Amino acid sequence: MPNKKIAIFTATGCRACENAILDIHYQVSSLAHCADIIFWPYVAGSQWSDLEKQENIDVCFFAGAIRTAGDREAALKLREKSRMMVACGACAAFGGIPGLSNLNRSGMVGGQPQGTTDNGQQTHEEGKPRGLPPLESRVSALSQIVKADYFVPGCPPPQNFLWAAIQSLVCEGISPARLTFAASRLPEAISQAVSAGILPPKGSIFAGEKAVCATCSRVKEEKRFETYKRSYQDYEASGRCLLEQGLLCQGITTRGGCGGLCTAMGQPCRGCFGKAENIFDPGAKMVSAISSTFDSEDAQEIEAIVDGFVDLLGTFYRYTLPTQCALLSAPSKDLKHE
Amino acid sequence: MNNVTFEPLRWQEDPVRITVFHDTEYRRAYYQVTAPRDPEGICRGRPVEELPRILTLLSPSHHLVSAMVLDKLFGVDPPPMALNMREALLQAQFFSHHLRKLYFLLSSWHDPFSDYGRHGSRKELKMFPLHFLDEIMHHQALSQEAATILGGRPNHPLCAVTGGVSRFLKEEYYQRLSEIAQFCLKFAIRLGGFFRDEIFGDGKALEGFDAYQIEPMVGLTSAEKSGHVVLNDPVGKTNDPFSPDMLFKKIGLHQASWTCEPFAHIKGASENTTEKTPGESGNMFYAEFPGSNPQFFFVGPLARLNSQDTLLSPLAEEERQRLIEVLGPFPHFGVVAAYWALLVELLQSAEKMTELYVTEKLTGPAIRTIPSEMGQVGHAVLESPQGLIYHHYRTDQKGIVEEVEVLGTGSANNVLRCLLTQKAVDISQARGETWKETQNRIEISLLPF
Repeated sequence: MPNKKIAIFTATGCRACENAILDIHYQVSSLAHCADIIFWPYVAGSQWSDLEKQENIDVCFFAGAIRTAGDREAALKLREKSRMMVACGACAAFGGIPGLSNLNRSGMVGGQPQGTTDNGQQTHEEGKPRGLPPLESRVSALSQIVKADYFVPGCPPPQNFLWAAIQSLVCEGISPARLTFAASRLPEAISQAVSAGILPPKGSIFAGEKAVCATCSRVKEEKRFETYKRSYQDYEASGRCLLEQGLLCQGITTRGGCGGLCTAMGQPCRGCFGKAENIFDPGAKMVSAISSTFDSEDAQEIEAIVDGFVDLLGTFYRYTLPTQCALLSAPSKDLKHE
Repeated sequence: MNNVTFEPLRWQEDPVRITVFHDTEYRRAYYQVTAPRDPEGICRGRPVEELPRILTLLSPSHHLVSAMVLDKLFGVDPPPMALNMREALLQAQFFSHHLRKLYFLLSSWHDPFSDYGRHGSRKELKMFPLHFLDEIMHHQALSQEAATILGGRPNHPLCAVTGGVSRFLKEEYYQRLSEIAQFCLKFAIRLGGFFRDEIFGDGKALEGFDAYQIEPMVGLTSAEKSGHVVLNDPVGKTNDPFSPDMLFKKIGLHQASWTCEPFAHIKGASENTTEKTPGESGNMFYAEFPGSNPQFFFVGPLARLNSQDTLLSPLAEEERQRLIEVLGPFPHFGVVAAYWALLVELLQSAEKMTELYVTEKLTGPAIRTIPSEMGQVGHAVLESPQGLIYHHYRTDQKGIVEEVEVLGTGSANNVLRCLLTQKAVDISQARGETWKETQNRIEISLLPF
C-alpha cells in the first residue's frame, strides 16, 4: 500500500494540538512507515508551495480556530486538496477558547484589523510588508468554513484518541492491535470500523459516546443543588460529585472519553469535548439540569442562589461558543460539500 | 526593489511571516506576527479564578503565574507542599520545553519523518545515531508524563488553583516521579556530552552560527530571593531591581501597524543607547519610536545566564563553566550561546526534578489555603522556560475580570527577533547563500530565544 500523504496545520491556536501529535510518545517518527508528511509547517518547515505541488492529500489534521482571513484561506486550500479533513482539538472542532472573543468584539486589536482599510482591503505601502490578514467578524470553528469529515476533540486531544485517529485514517487498520487502548472508549461504530480496517463513518467523533459523568470516578449521591460555589471557595477536592457540592461542573452535558480528567484533578469539567450525544445546547441543558435540582421550593432562596451565578455564557460554552450555543452560533457546512 | 517572503516559519509559537526587501546594497527584513492571541479580549468578563485554565492558551507556564496572581488577589499563602508541587510542575515544563527545542535543532539536519528504510537515508546520517531523535522524544514523553501526574495535562495543566493546588498526589505516583527524574537526569547528562562532541565548538555543527549575534542588550529577569524584577545591563554592569507591580511603569508596549505582536521596550531614554536612524539596515522598528531613543531588552534562558554568577545545581554549573571555556565569559548575545543556555537549563531542571520528586517534598497536611476575602487587584511574575512572564488582573467586587495585562515572551523578545532576523539575512546573503538557506538560518537563529 502506498504511503498516505498527510498535512498538519494550526490556524489560530496555541500549538498544543500539534505538540500533542508530536508527543505521541516516541512513536511519532514511526508515522514515516505509513505516511509521507507533505505539509507540517511548524515541525517540518513545509511551505504552501509544497502543498500546491501535490495533486491531493489523503488526510489533513487541522487545528485551531478560524479568526483571520489567513486562517480561512488556509482552511479552504487544505480542504480543496484533502480527501479527509480532521478537525483536531477543541478550537477546530468547536471554536475553542479563542471563540470567547465573540463575547467581546472590542478586544480585537483596536476593534479593527491592523493594516487594513475600512472595507477590509489590505494596505500595502512601497517598502513595507504586506498588511496583516484581516480579522474575521467572529471566530469560527473549521466546520463552519468547510466540511470537516472527522473530529478529535479535547484541549488538547488525548494521545489515545489521536493515535486512534491516526491509526484508522492514516494507517487504515494496518495494525489494529495498537488501538486496543483507545478502542474501549470509542463509540462502537468507530471501534468496529477501525478494527475491521475500514474508514469510520463520515462525521465520526473520536471520543466517547456517553457523558463525562458516566466515567467520572467521583461519588454521586443525590442530584441536589443546594448552594452555588466558585472554585476558589472551599469544597472537597476528592470524593463527592462536584456538581452536588455546588460547583458548575459540565460533566453531565459533555461528551466523555477523557475519563473525567479534570474532575479527577479536583476541577470542574468545562466541556472541551463538546456536547454529548442527543443534547441540543449544552448551556441550556446545564441550566435545565441545575434548576430542576434546586434543593428549595422557596422563591427567595432560589433567587439568592441564582443571583450568585456569574458568567454562565463564558462557563457553559468555554470551548464551544461559536458552534454549540444555539442563540449565537452560525450553521456548519453540510456534509455534501466535496 | 525586490522582496522575498517566508511564510510559514518552522518552530514559531505564533504564525509568522518574514518579508525581506532588497536590492544590490540594501536589505531590510520585517518579522511579522500575523494573528493576535488577544488574551485580554478572551479574559474580560470571566470569573478571575478561571484564568489559570484559560491563559494556558499562551503557554503551560501561564497557568502557574496566573495562579500566583490569584494568591495575591485573594491574599493567601499556599501551603509548602502546594508550592513544591507547582515548582515540580514548572521544572517538568522546563525540561520538556528545552528538550523539544533541542530536538527541533537536530531535526534541522535530519528529517525525523523520513522513512529511513525506504529512502536509504540511513547511510547519510553520521552526526548522531539513527534512534537518537526517538530517544529524545521518549524522554520528552517522560517529562510530559511527570507534568501530567502533577498538573493533570502537560500542555494545558489544571492543578494550580487559588491558594495552592487542586488535589493530593496518589500514592503510586511518588515512585514513578522519582524514576522519571532519574531517567531525565541521566539522559540530560548524555545529551550534554553529545552536544559538546557534535554541536558546540570549533569545527562542529553550529560553527557557522558564530557570527549570528545581536548587539549587547539588557536582560529582564526575576530575582529568586527578593521576588523583584531586574533589568540587567550587562555592559554597563548595572542592575535596576523593582517590584513587579511597577513592571508596566518601567516597560512599555508599542503596537506597530504591521505586526500583531507589540514591541516591549524600556520606558525613558538611556545614556548607553546610541542614536539609531530608521533607515539603517536592521533598525526598521526604530521608525516606530520617532523622536525618542528607545532601549530594548530580552528575556529567556540566555538572559537568565547573563544575570547569574553561579548556579546552585552542580551539573548545570559545570556546563556553564564549559560554555565560558569555549565562548568566553558572560554576557553573551549569540545564537550558539543561546542553544548552550538551553542545555545548561535542561541539566538544571533535571537536577531540580531529582531534588523535588521525592515523597517528603510532595506530601503535607494541606493542599490549599482557602481565602476568606477577595481583593480586586493582583499581579505576579514567573521565570518560565521561555523567559520572564508577568500577569496583572483587576476585577470588580464579584471577582469578574475587568482588566488583564500580560507581558508574554512574544512581546518581550519581539525586538530581539527582529534584530536576529535582520542579522541572519545580512550574514547569509553576504555569504552568497540561497534564499532557502537564508530561511533556514533565520529559523535556527530564532529557535533558542
